[in-house]
Amino acid sequence: MIGTNFGIYRPNSSSSGVSGAPEERAAVQQLSDFMLQLEDYVPTVPDAVTAHFLNSAGFESNDPRIVRLISVATQKFISDVANDALQQCKTRCNTQSNLPGTHTPGQKPTKDRKYTLTMEDLAPALADYGITVRKAQYFP
Amino acid sequence: MDKVDATNSTNPRRKILNLAVSQILMEKGFDSVDKECLETLTEMLQSMLVEVGQSARSYCELSGRTIPVIGDVIVALVNMGVSMQGIEAFAKRDGRQIIPMPAQASQQKQLNLLQAGTKSSHPPHVPNYLPALPDPHAYVRTPTHKQPVTEYEAIREKAANQKRDVEKALTKFLSKTSETHSLFDNEDNMFPLIACKPAFPPYLAALNPTDQVFDFEELEYHYLVANRTEDVTSKDDNDENESGNEDDGDGEMKAESKSEKEMKPENDIKPNSTTNKAILENPNIDNPYLRAATLPKRAKPDPALLIPPPTPAPANNAVAN
Repeated sequence: MIGTNFGIYRPNSSSSGVSGAPEERAAVQQLSDFMLQLEDYVPTVPDAVTAHFLNSAGFESNDPRIVRLISVATQKFISDVANDALQQCKTRCNTQSNLPGTHTPGQKPTKDRKYTLTMEDLAPALADYGITVRKAQYFP
Repeated sequence: MDKVDATNSTNPRRKILNLAVSQILMEKGFDSVDKECLETLTEMLQSMLVEVGQSARSYCELSGRTIPVIGDVIVALVNMGVSMQGIEAFAKRDGRQIIPMPAQASQQKQLNLLQAGTKSSHPPHVPNYLPALPDPHAYVRTPTHKQPVTEYEAIREKAANQKRDVEKALTKFLSKTSETHSLFDNEDNMFPLIACKPAFPPYLAALNPTDQVFDFEELEYHYLVANRTEDVTSKDDNDENESGNEDDGDGEMKAESKSEKEMKPENDIKPNSTTNKAILENPNIDNPYLRAATLPKRAKPDPALLIPPPTPAPANNAVAN
C-alpha cells in the first residue's frame, strides 16, 4: 500500500515494488499497521495545534491520521535530539568528574544526578543532525 | 523543568509546543533545562512542523493533487532525513502524557441593552430577510412642545402690542435725549414732542457718505455746534422756507451739513475763502485734517451767481443771531 506509487527510484526492488526485499516489505507493512492505529490515537500535542502550523504552510488535510503522523514524527525527532543531548551531558559529566584525582567510584553512579540541558550539550547533539546552533542575535 | 514557568510566550499554540518539548525532555531524564535550549527546541519543533507541511504540500501538488495523502507526508519526512524507525514504539511509549486542549474561549454574549418598547414587525413592502426594525424610540417621532397659538386675532393683537411698545419706548428715549417741542405754550414740558428738523433735500443725508468717527471729542464738539445753531434754525424756520430757492444750491454743495445751522455761518462768510470758512466753523480745531470736509469747487461759482439775491438773507440771519 504505502510506498508503492511514490515514484521513488529503488535500485533493489527492480520490478514489483513492494514485493522486493522481505525486510522492506515488512517495514511497509509495519507502517501501514501504524497508520491504522493512528486512527484512534491521541497525540501529545493536540491535533488543532499541529493542524494550525501545517495550515500556515499551506498544508490542509481532512485526514486526522496525517496530522497525527506528522505530529508524532516531529516529536520523535525532538526526542532523538534530546536523547543525544542527554548522552552528551552524561559523558561530559563523567569526564569532568573523572578528571580530578579524587575519584570515588562508589559514590557517583548511586548519587542522584540532576541533569540540566544546556546549549553546551545541545549544540553537539544537533551538530550530529547537521544543524548548526548559534545564539540568536536578539534573543533576550 | 521549573524553568518552564518562566517562559512567557504569548502565543497559546507555541505554549503547547513548549509543554510538549518540556515533557519529552523530562521523559528523557533531564531535570531542568536552560531557557535558551527550551526555546531552541520549541522553535525547531515549530519550524519542523511547518517545513513538513510545506514539503508535503509540494509533493502533493507535484503529483497533481490538491488533497495530500499519507505518501506525500512520508516522502517529505524521508526527504528531510527524519527516520521513521521506531516511530510506533515512540508513539506507544510508556509514561506518555497528553496535553489537554485548552478550553475554548467562549465568546461573551452581548447583553440585551435596555429593551425599550416592543419591536414592530416589518411593513408588508419590506422583505423578511432584512434585519428587524430597531426599538421604536429610534425612529418614532414624539412632539415635546406645546402647540403654539395660531389664531389670527391673537397673533395680530400681540404684534400690534409689540409694535406699540417699541414705538413708545423709542419715542420716550428720543424725547429725553434730543430736542423736543412743547405741545403747549407753558414751560412744564409735560407732553414733549420730538422736534422735527426738516432738511431741505430730504434725500441728501442718505446720499452723503459719512466717515467713521475716530475722535469722540470732535464728535461732541459737532453736537455742541448743532445744539447752539438749532435754536437759530428753529427761530429762522420761516426765513428758510422763504429762501428755499437760494438755499438749495448751498445745501447740495455742503457735504457736512446735517442741518441748516452750518449753512448760516457759511452764508455769512461766503465772500471769504473756503479755508477761512472752515476755520470759522470749527474754531477749536486747528488741524486741517480733522476739520469737517468742505467742497470748495462748487462753492465758488455759487456765491458769484447767488450774491445778489441772498444778500438780504444773511443780513437777516445776522440780526437774528
